[in-house]
Amino acid sequence: MNRQTGGGPLAVGYALLFFAFLFGPLIIMVITAFNSSSFPRVTPWECFTTEWFGVLFGNGRLMNGLLNSVVIGIGVVLIAVPIGLAGALALSELGPKLRAALYTVLITPILVPGVVLGISTIVFWGALGRSVGAGYDSMFFNGMFLTLIGQVTFIAAYAMLVFIARLQRFDPTLTEAALDLGATPGQAFVKILLPFLAPAIGSAAFLTLLASFENYNTTVFTIMADSTFTTALASKVRLGTDPSLSALAVIIIGITLIGAIVNEAWTRRAEALRSGCAARSAVYGNPALAVIVHPATVLVLLLGLVGYLAWSGTQHDAGVCKQQILDEKLARQEQLLEEQRQRIRDQKAAEEATGTVTKPASPSAFGGAFNGLAPSPAAPATPATPKAPSAFGGAFNNLAPKTD
Amino acid sequence: MGVLQQGLSAFTRKHGLGVACFIGLSVFVWVVFLIVLPQLSMLDFSFRYNLPRAEVGGPADVYTLDNYAYFFQGNDGTFNALDIGILVKTMVAAVIVTVIDIAICYPIAFILAHSATGVAARLMVIGLIVPFWVNEILRAFAFRVLFGATGLVNSIGLSAGFWDVPIDFIRADVALYSGLVYAYILLMIFPIFNAVEALDRNQIEAARDMGASWWRVHWRVVLPIAKPGIVSGATMVFMLTAGALAAPQILGGPSNLWFTQLIYQWFNESANWQRGSAYAVVLLVVCISFVMMLMRVFKVSIGEIGR
Repeated sequence: MNRQTGGGPLAVGYALLFFAFLFGPLIIMVITAFNSSSFPRVTPWECFTTEWFGVLFGNGRLMNGLLNSVVIGIGVVLIAVPIGLAGALALSELGPKLRAALYTVLITPILVPGVVLGISTIVFWGALGRSVGAGYDSMFFNGMFLTLIGQVTFIAAYAMLVFIARLQRFDPTLTEAALDLGATPGQAFVKILLPFLAPAIGSAAFLTLLASFENYNTTVFTIMADSTFTTALASKVRLGTDPSLSALAVIIIGITLIGAIVNEAWTRRAEALRSGCAARSAVYGNPALAVIVHPATVLVLLLGLVGYLAWSGTQHDAGVCKQQILDEKLARQEQLLEEQRQRIRDQKAAEEATGTVTKPASPSAFGGAFNGLAPSPAAPATPATPKAPSAFGGAFNNLAPKTD
Repeated sequence: MGVLQQGLSAFTRKHGLGVACFIGLSVFVWVVFLIVLPQLSMLDFSFRYNLPRAEVGGPADVYTLDNYAYFFQGNDGTFNALDIGILVKTMVAAVIVTVIDIAICYPIAFILAHSATGVAARLMVIGLIVPFWVNEILRAFAFRVLFGATGLVNSIGLSAGFWDVPIDFIRADVALYSGLVYAYILLMIFPIFNAVEALDRNQIEAARDMGASWWRVHWRVVLPIAKPGIVSGATMVFMLTAGALAAPQILGGPSNLWFTQLIYQWFNESANWQRGSAYAVVLLVVCISFVMMLMRVFKVSIGEIGR
């Protein structure tokens, strides 16, 4: 950090605060996945449990949606990446005026609300289907097909942006040199431009897959009666929440972290190799360390760790602890009931002491209509075996030990 | 057409006929069948009556302004304060979220571009990207866990004695605003970062040497450079916030509708696609004209978006 450019403790403090905001909610969600409380929360902490993972995998709709999402995601990658590449290449060759116009058209799907894209997709393909006389079971009304189309519309633009960024660094004289040396234009494309774009193809594929998997706004309209992973998730969150969603977050965050770490190991290694100082660097020069920081080793180690954690998770049994919590709850309720009974007894005793005077003097204003409802002092408290009104509104009646 | 032919022949010369055909066909399909025709058919659809399937294309299937009239006047021909109010509220909320995002992200983008170096900068970039690999729904869910009646914020506040009864953050829209601000941070930071990175550090130092205070340096030197990035990021954040559906569905209070939720209701609950389309057109037109106005005010062209 340097002082001239506004660094210093203030900047460090702000950055820390910012990342706390970025990671805090995720960390808390991860913690709730291991709390046995049936509502996702950190406090009060009940028991450490891994049962929510089981609940998650038992959710048929989510798992079915996952399968649909994978199919759609692969389809989107296969269509959106080539279309995005074509768009980027077209932009790179056109004259400035046409280029600006085409860019505006191609970039709008990113800016247009996803809801609008979804609606326009189903309306257009539905109309097309009707005009060719196709029935409701044809592909024009098939949720998977429509989702694929609707997602490609804007995800191809993401891919295009990745390719544009890469193409800006391309040296067109390379293609010209290949043509001068006798390559056909097609050969020059395959041997010069495509290899140059290879890293961008990789990142575009990753980005499009992620975008397809994550998308909700467009998909919720185009998927019709089916569901993808994200729409199934959303309807689950809207209907009611339990910590199995946190368990899902744990899995996704785990995958994300592994991916990020392996990717980091890979780029560092590639950089060290490219700059040629690999042999001299302390890490990559040492054979043992070089093996350890190799991305494949990192991946295997991390997967091993995850496998071990998952295995020990399945061995964990929270039953004892949960029974204990339940017992504690019952005991607490018993105590409350006892206190209430005591209060009623005290009340009755007090009434009996002064009751003979006050009772006739205070006829109920409601003509006794509410006597059955309210434990008013005017009502003769008859219950000898106190059927105490539960503090929990009877919600725990089937749990509580019988009071009589 | 002549321009297109010229372009195509340029491709053929450079990349070969096969590649030229691939490019031409892909862009054609994308522009015509995925972008332009669907939007036009949605526009067409919004001017039609909601008819049973048998009558579609029949004599009753004529154009009408009914769906738009409903948006402005409601059923009884008076001012439709409810739906218009929701639209206005959505727009205002989107502006608020955008402004908060600018305020949060500008310092971070600046720190990332000019103060952080080496490992710190790398870690910051990874730390920025990784949370956004997590599903949007789950991120919204995290805020619900955080701000719920028995959430962490409430239990800390209660046990520390800041307040006595649980505060309903969901109803107060605190959860919704935080969730939306969080959701689009990345889209704000990277455009600003790209713009600020181009700034020559010597300019800042020169301003400092001449005795400018730190806020003056930012106001007079850094902000003008960052402006295109800020407008680009603000455009994306505004459009996405106004068009958000998941976060309002999950984090919105029971009495609080987002305009996209209204569209969703017309489609999925009332099964009136035509009216839903009309509402979608309204949303699109309002959003785009607002952004165009903003771009004109700040003198930025759409070509700079997404850089």
